Amino acid sequence: MSVRAERLPHGVGRLSAAASFLVFALLALVALGIYAYSRQFVEGEIVTGMRDIGTMGGAAWGLYIAFVVYFVGVSFAGITIAAVVRLLDLEFLRPISRMAELLTVITLLLGAFSVLADLGQPLRGIINLFRYGRPMSPFFGTFSLVMSGYLFASLVYLYLSGRRDAALMAQRQTSLRWFYRLWAAGYRHTAEEQARHHRTSFWLALSILPLLVTAHSTLGFVFGLQTGRPGWYSALQAPGFVVLAGVSGTGLLIVVAALLRQTTGARDQLGMAVFRWLGNFLMVLTAAYLYFIVVEWLTSAYAAHTSEARVSASIMSGTYAPVFWASVGLLVLSFGVLFVQFVTRRHSLALIVLAGVLVNLAAIGKRFLIVVPSQTHGTLLPYGPGYYSPTWVEYSVIVGLVSLGTLLFILFVKVFPIIEVKEQPQGGR
Amino acid sequence: MKTRTLLAVLTLIAGIGLAAVSYLFLAAPLGRPTAESLSNPRFPFAAALFVVGIVAVFASAVVYEVLPDGREQRAPARQAPSR
Repeated sequence: MSVRAERLPHGVGRLSAAASFLVFALLALVALGIYAYSRQFVEGEIVTGMRDIGTMGGAAWGLYIAFVVYFVGVSFAGITIAAVVRLLDLEFLRPISRMAELLTVITLLLGAFSVLADLGQPLRGIINLFRYGRPMSPFFGTFSLVMSGYLFASLVYLYLSGRRDAALMAQRQTSLRWFYRLWAAGYRHTAEEQARHHRTSFWLALSILPLLVTAHSTLGFVFGLQTGRPGWYSALQAPGFVVLAGVSGTGLLIVVAALLRQTTGARDQLGMAVFRWLGNFLMVLTAAYLYFIVVEWLTSAYAAHTSEARVSASIMSGTYAPVFWASVGLLVLSFGVLFVQFVTRRHSLALIVLAGVLVNLAAIGKRFLIVVPSQTHGTLLPYGPGYYSPTWVEYSVIVGLVSLGTLLFILFVKVFPIIEVKEQPQGGR
Repeated sequence: MKTRTLLAVLTLIAGIGLAAVSYLFLAAPLGRPTAESLSNPRFPFAAALFVVGIVAVFASAVVYEVLPDGREQRAPARQAPSR
């Protein structure tokens, strides 16, 4: 193999002063999250805002579970887009393929950590899940099929699609050469290897798509199949989860792609055609989700059972109304921004990114509303309305997790090309 | 059939088989868990075996793509045309 001395592509191996500062700031926030979790682990969940439903007038699932749903949702769009790019041969979207796969892997890890944060005794929870879990249970499906199968499938996809670039990087003299060689695992970019990868990636993409729809529907069923919990028991939960997952994931991918376009200088590869497509895709998904909100609202407000009406009243005009209307407002605003651009055929990157940010804020709000109000206001027993307000511990753990995800993303970008390298590896030995 | 293809297919079949067997015969019986015996798994950690099966299914892709092929290793590498 030849050894070259030129700079590594897409900012690999280079850490600017600003990036170093960001890394240190993120490390500090991760440390804050670890400290907060240590308080929770030592003192118990009494340091959180979570309480028993009914008897203690609280919510047993709070911010952590809301973010489990959010993180897993974000992971949806990443691998969906990567799979669709491969299945439909959308060449112009190839530059975002790897960042989408990475987004999936990192957010799934964050989702798994959020589950662990929610468990008072994480080790006991993990062991008992695999020891006694019923595979037909939505809980099992979510925490094993999603966190294990889906995560592993995404890792395999990311690994195999990166072998070509790893082989290319291994031809250069860097301190991480051993890592690139390990990743490349003997890849030489021969016609046979390319054909093999073409076949594998096609079948992987084809099998990942139904897996992820099943996984996200299963997460929806965790809530949607609970007959004794007004507000959750709904046939719309599963499709609603899938569509909102697409909204938040596509939105975050837009933001990430725009940041990388700015920082890696890959303006040619991450051109406006990519953002135009993502913006239009986001617009369609947002419209579909707004339709779901209207249908859900009409059904629960028209002639609902008393307990069902109590939950919807708390969301639309009660305790949770500010979160609900803010979320709906942000979704409508994002849709409007994207729709105007679609109609006028004039797209602004800044506005598309703004829509991406807004739909994510709305998605976090909606995830909170899916998880919490049915516990505080949806009991069928004669308890009064409950109350849930997260404490600094929960906020700190979530901030720590988000920082950890950002840190992992930055570290990956600094050791491996986040956009496919254009040049061809030298084959043969 | 090449060795790599054979091994990949075997891994795939083993994964599907393990997932199916653990789901249908080792986990708790399908249907309403009206008694304790219908709630607990028939084999401890059946759920973990199900996950291992799913993981094996996707690991078959790695086997197929990464495993060195004896005959191919001996032959000189044929460079592919540019994309």
